[in-house]
Amino acid sequence: MSVAAVLAFDRVTVRYEPGSRPVLEGVSFTLDRGERAALVGLNGSGKTTLLMAAVGLAGHEGLILVDGIPVRRRTAGQLRQKTGFLFNVPEDQILFPIAREDAAFGLLRRGVERTEAYRRAEAMLAELGVGDVAGQPALHLSHGQKQRVALAGVLVTGPPLLLLDEPSAGLDPPGRLSLARLLGRLDAAMLVATHDLDFAARFCRRFIVLAEGRISYDGPDASVVSQAWGTEA
Amino acid sequence: MRALWHDSWGSGRGPAVRLAPEARIAAGAALFAASLAAPAGTGRGIALIAFVATAWTAACGMPLRAVKSFALLGAAMFLPYFLLVPLLTGAGTPGGPSGQGGFLSALAAPWDVVLHGFAGLFLTAATVTSLSASDFRRGVLALPLPRLVTGVVIQIVHQTAVLFAETGSVAAAIAVRSGSGRAGTVLRVLASVPRVWLPRIIHRADRVSAAMELRGYAETDLRVMGPTKPRAADAAAIGAAVGLLALAAAIRWDWIR
Repeated sequence: MSVAAVLAFDRVTVRYEPGSRPVLEGVSFTLDRGERAALVGLNGSGKTTLLMAAVGLAGHEGLILVDGIPVRRRTAGQLRQKTGFLFNVPEDQILFPIAREDAAFGLLRRGVERTEAYRRAEAMLAELGVGDVAGQPALHLSHGQKQRVALAGVLVTGPPLLLLDEPSAGLDPPGRLSLARLLGRLDAAMLVATHDLDFAARFCRRFIVLAEGRISYDGPDASVVSQAWGTEA
Repeated sequence: MRALWHDSWGSGRGPAVRLAPEARIAAGAALFAASLAAPAGTGRGIALIAFVATAWTAACGMPLRAVKSFALLGAAMFLPYFLLVPLLTGAGTPGGPSGQGGFLSALAAPWDVVLHGFAGLFLTAATVTSLSASDFRRGVLALPLPRLVTGVVIQIVHQTAVLFAETGSVAAAIAVRSGSGRAGTVLRVLASVPRVWLPRIIHRADRVSAAMELRGYAETDLRVMGPTKPRAADAAAIGAAVGLLALAAAIRWDWIR
């Protein structure tokens, strides 16, 4: 495994029930510091499970390392300081009623002074195109706006590893474009689960394809994926 | 009900809204306790309950629309208790109370429930209208409660609002897919609770708990989200509410003796 790897999977298998068919089987790959990879696959191929396993939310066999630290129950708290995780349903992730408060939570819990935390949260919301809803109840926002509020809460702390589950889902075309540009500017390593190849191709140079829980392709060529899916132009 | 819940938070425009959020919650809780402690079977008790509920509703500036809606909700919830009166009078039952005295004593139990129920509903609703979701969070955090309790209470309120939205989505999907009218949709929604709504809610709870774990919600002292400074007006409001609670307790004590 590369010493520069911020995320490493070594023969990882995940089963939801002991003895049942694995959702992920023998998955191995590494993600270097600052590297951006798209995790693509059809529905049910195991993308979300892989992301969950990387933060210790899905029990696994094999070895997962985040920044050289093995993912185990007792290391989970330490590892989660190093990762930013975006769920595919933003309502699951938003824990505070007002958009600004939710986005600032990660900073406040790290001890950033309140005024400064809110200023930085608002700046991140503005960068994601939802600065105008910073003071609004998150529940009243559209799906795309909630997605961006949740993402702001993830990005604002600047973790070295981002695990994003369908970040472009529910975003309008300008929103997708600005998000792709923003992600392309970040220094963090990221693994982005998506079906949206055009979106991923804007900032990822690597495509990891999952099929029935196994990696079927790992390389730079997005056209391999679209050919396999029969969706090439 | 869903609209009532959504619209009520922070809709109040009365003078109580200027108090610190924790003072509004504490005063509301003390007045709620006072309304429960005051006996509904004495003139002084009834007067105190009515005063406390009316004064706090006015102080919070609950909008007229919300007053009407909560009055309707209270009527639907509590007035049916009066239907028990004929059963409680035991008219014609050997040994049962009869005549006007019997009717009045049978009326006492439902009256107690109805008066306390209405007062409790309005005091709670008025407190809710005086607090925006953000105020509520700040207020709960500022109260001297254990960290676990504040975290759980804040999430219960937040997730209840999410739950109402989720229920609305389930109802809309059922209405669209079944092509039923309003009554038909209500019946189908009720029938779908164990098969559709409950699994969705359980799944949602699972994901929310995962998000709370990932975001470090449980380990964080949520007071970092915004401490507030107590002011004289807040202390006066809480003092007045506690005074009314003491008066209610004294009336109750006098009544028992």
